[in-house]
Amino acid sequence: MFISGFIYILGETLKGLYRNRWMCITSTGVVMVTLLMLGLFMVVNLNVRHITETVKEQVEMVVYIDEETDRATIEELGQKILGHREVDRVEYVSSEEHMGRLQQQLGGMLEGYDSALDNPLLASFEVRTEDPEAVVRLADEFETYPGVSAVFYGQGYVENLFEVTRVIQVIGLALMAGLAITAVFLISHTIKLTVMMRKREITIMKYVGATNWFIRWPFLLEGLMMGLVGAALPLGILYYLYATSVEWVTANELMFINLLPLQAVMAELVAYLIPLGTGLGILGSMLSMGRFLRV
Amino acid sequence: MVEAKNLFMKYGKGKQLALDNVNFFIDRGEFIFFVGSSGAGKSTLLKLIIRELKPTEGVLKVFNRDVGRLPRHRLPYLRRNIGMVFQDFRLMEERTVYDNVAFAMIVTGASRREIKRRVPHVLNLVGLQDKAKARITDLSGGEQQRVGLARAIANRPAMIIADEPTGNLDPGTALDIMNLLRSINLRGTTVLVATHNREIVDRFKKRVLYLENGKLVGDEQKGIYSNVH
Repeated sequence: MFISGFIYILGETLKGLYRNRWMCITSTGVVMVTLLMLGLFMVVNLNVRHITETVKEQVEMVVYIDEETDRATIEELGQKILGHREVDRVEYVSSEEHMGRLQQQLGGMLEGYDSALDNPLLASFEVRTEDPEAVVRLADEFETYPGVSAVFYGQGYVENLFEVTRVIQVIGLALMAGLAITAVFLISHTIKLTVMMRKREITIMKYVGATNWFIRWPFLLEGLMMGLVGAALPLGILYYLYATSVEWVTANELMFINLLPLQAVMAELVAYLIPLGTGLGILGSMLSMGRFLRV
Repeated sequence: MVEAKNLFMKYGKGKQLALDNVNFFIDRGEFIFFVGSSGAGKSTLLKLIIRELKPTEGVLKVFNRDVGRLPRHRLPYLRRNIGMVFQDFRLMEERTVYDNVAFAMIVTGASRREIKRRVPHVLNLVGLQDKAKARITDLSGGEQQRVGLARAIANRPAMIIADEPTGNLDPGTALDIMNLLRSINLRGTTVLVATHNREIVDRFKKRVLYLENGKLVGDEQKGIYSNVH
């Protein structure tokens, strides 16, 4: 297309935005609110995920070995667990090592106790799985292996943790979908107004031989700009809010709140919100144009 | 250039027959009047030629192509070869004369240089060289129709289709517009005019196709309106 066409399209886009400025501001506002909420949710979700991942990584299973089990069976059991395709690594801890750890934890409290003579602690395998969520299933399986006395993985606590993360994710996704649909609806409504205002012009364009794409471009750009502005402003707001939060957490030495670094969060937000904003804008304008082009 | 073979056009669910077995052939460079009362099928025929409508039955060839079978994406290229002139002018009123004419060239992808060269030329042809910067709303009906004509010829179409081009004009102005169409025709462009205007038809003595209730009831070289009515 020649420059004249490009200038025309750009001019028409800006005129369309200006003529419908109040509707445009409203639609852009809705995109902004949508993406801001979405962004806020993403920030929370990213951090919750980060924290739960960290916690999940610490989820470990302890397979206690029967006292009576002979060395060969123990070795066989170790090989069997390690050979399981969902197991990442296995560490054998003898009953003496357990006692050593206990003594260390309790400090002087066990002084004088001769653990070599009477050690009630069972030897065990400490198992780390590839997927932390697999521990519940694997624990059931390992319990049936010969020589296994019991399996512990923080029963109850782990299931709750996984359940909460899932619920947070489902609610978030539903919320995001609802907001996105509202934004598309409003953008398409705004652009429909521009299209209707320019119906006469579109008809003339069709008569003089304009292609559908030539007619579409100004409206597409209009939607795209609304989406882009609607995404850029929330990004600015989120940047400010997150930077402040990180600073606050650091200043108050709340290091147990393990927040993701600002750059990582912003990279994620930009990667999602910009394409999403422009996508919503374009989708909105596409939906509004269809029937007006059939002349 | 335009050929209709057993052409039928039905509106709605086939109850209203707008064209009833119409057959004709129009050669390159001809000047044709389509005459007939309101509802005779003149406008339908013009709409079929620019493929605003699709024929219900039969074949309509424009530039040797069956427009009924033309894929939608080819329509713009058909229309770039046909200049349209309307009774209600269909101009963009908030824009200038120059912009209205340039617009027709912009949408077809003409270069800026070409537009700058061509627009003053066509405005000169229709006698509006001094009104390039005027707004459409500041022009008289006759002047507005001249802009319509300038826009129609801007892309050097092979054919001009004018649907009641003088319908909103006083007799003197109507004659001016028709004279312009005749001079465009003399340069080799085929001109098809649908009209009610008896005086004009009788005065120009061109080929006349008479339509009545969707049927082609007459086709005369150097015809006059009153031959049928």
